[in-house]
Amino acid sequence: MILEALYETLYLTFIPLIISCFLGLLIGTIIFITGSDIIVKSDKKYLKVISKVADALVNILRSIPYLILIIWLLPLTSFLTGKVIGTEAAIPALVFSATPFFARMVIIAFGEVDKGVIFASKAMGATIKDIIIHVLIPESLPALISSITVTAINLISYSAMAGAIGAGGLGYEAYQYGLVRRDTGLMFISTAMIVIIVFAIQILGDHLAHKVDRR
Amino acid sequence: MIVLKDVTKSYGEVDAVDHVSIEVADGEIFGIVGYSGAGKSTLIKLIDRIEEADSGEIIIGKDDICKLEGKDLLEKRRKISMIFQNFDLLWSKDVLDNIAFPLMLKRVEKKKRRELAKELAKEVGLEDKIHAYPSELSGGQKQRVAIARALIVKPEILLCDEATSALDPKTTEDILDLLRKINKEYGLTILMISHQMEAIQKVCDRLAIMADGRVIEEGTVYEIFADPKEELTKRLIRTVDTGLDVKKTALELKERYPEGHLLRLTFDEVTSQRPILFELSNKTHIPMNIVSANIKNTAVGTLGVMYVHIEKRHDIALVLSELNADGVKVEVI
Repeated sequence: MILEALYETLYLTFIPLIISCFLGLLIGTIIFITGSDIIVKSDKKYLKVISKVADALVNILRSIPYLILIIWLLPLTSFLTGKVIGTEAAIPALVFSATPFFARMVIIAFGEVDKGVIFASKAMGATIKDIIIHVLIPESLPALISSITVTAINLISYSAMAGAIGAGGLGYEAYQYGLVRRDTGLMFISTAMIVIIVFAIQILGDHLAHKVDRR
Repeated sequence: MIVLKDVTKSYGEVDAVDHVSIEVADGEIFGIVGYSGAGKSTLIKLIDRIEEADSGEIIIGKDDICKLEGKDLLEKRRKISMIFQNFDLLWSKDVLDNIAFPLMLKRVEKKKRRELAKELAKEVGLEDKIHAYPSELSGGQKQRVAIARALIVKPEILLCDEATSALDPKTTEDILDLLRKINKEYGLTILMISHQMEAIQKVCDRLAIMADGRVIEEGTVYEIFADPKEELTKRLIRTVDTGLDVKKTALELKERYPEGHLLRLTFDEVTSQRPILFELSNKTHIPMNIVSANIKNTAVGTLGVMYVHIEKRHDIALVLSELNADGVKVEVI
């Protein structure tokens, strides 16, 4: 039973993590590029508008509490997964909350890439695609890895709340057996497992971020 | 060849570049000196068309780069390389990959571009550092990587944006030597901008002084140093640590010789070759005391400054006219 909850937690963390990192990178990149005076010509005003609007959307999504988001997204969830409760049903809401968060982290990470290097690459004839793939991502890789780490840990805590729509997981286990059924032992084990997962992710993330950092 | 005709660029109310016309010949090292905010950086961005000029022509080779579009512009820009004050290397790539970066952008196959990068690393004296990362290099080494990276695309023009301003004097000297070497070896046209007159005068054939977006003075290094016309030019020249520090020397000497006539003589390439003072004192029979003298070798010639003291009782009118006739610039202090 606890192994099943562990599996659910990992599932609820890593599936949304992969989707969110992909989407967040995409959205963050679009916002960063369209808002950058160095990368796109400053005379293209409509790009600035795109950047501002997308940025505002990210902020709005980020400010909606996770539980409310689940309810807002029920129609979408049922359309995408055919269900409104259960483990799969929690994924859209997890993605919707983690994506804008990760997008924001991407914008911050890209913003810390040396402007001179971006400028120099452009002077060397780099296209926007080149700048993204060969400059922005590799030059901000340690920050991006740290962002993935933080997003993963956020997803673990969100997934506990996903128990509200029957998603299961260790967090729900701790709540259900610990608080409701007063089984302190199970609550302790569930909580300890969450802590271990969080530590493992953090240590792995720090290690990777450090490893790729040649600065 | 780079020809700028009446180039103007303004940002709102500010004229960053104001009707600038400059000609840089093929294979020449041309310097633009000025304090920050003079419009030098904007000018260099206009030449590489990173920024658009408001009006005027920027002719590079045969074409006006302002009128090129798409593929033609890209081709033209590939003939222009740039190096920067902060080197702007990618920390995530090693020396070889940094040097090969422009070729990667041109989709040159990895093995081939690394081979070329290796050759250039050797050319700039970094053959033993090819697998180092920028963080393991000194400032001078980083600039060498940047120079190699600039050269790998076989450019015709190299734009240097304050390329030595972040380096110490010794390293600056080394980098300038390297620039001169590649200028000769590749026949590369180099346009350098800097606020350091020191660096410019060492390496440039000709230079222009910029202030408030305009070119206020232009000439060979020799012409500018021998006979600066504008106040700003004089001030910039004074920053060069040559012993020709005109104002300071003059003041000190004036203090030491409050009586009599104190003359400053400026010799050029031609006049410094002749025993002018000897001839002069034979002719006029006025005893002259040389109180300070200095000769400076610039990229294009010799420049000498000498201070001469003559006692009060002598009439210096003849001395002045003789010296003028000889082509020596004389100032009475």
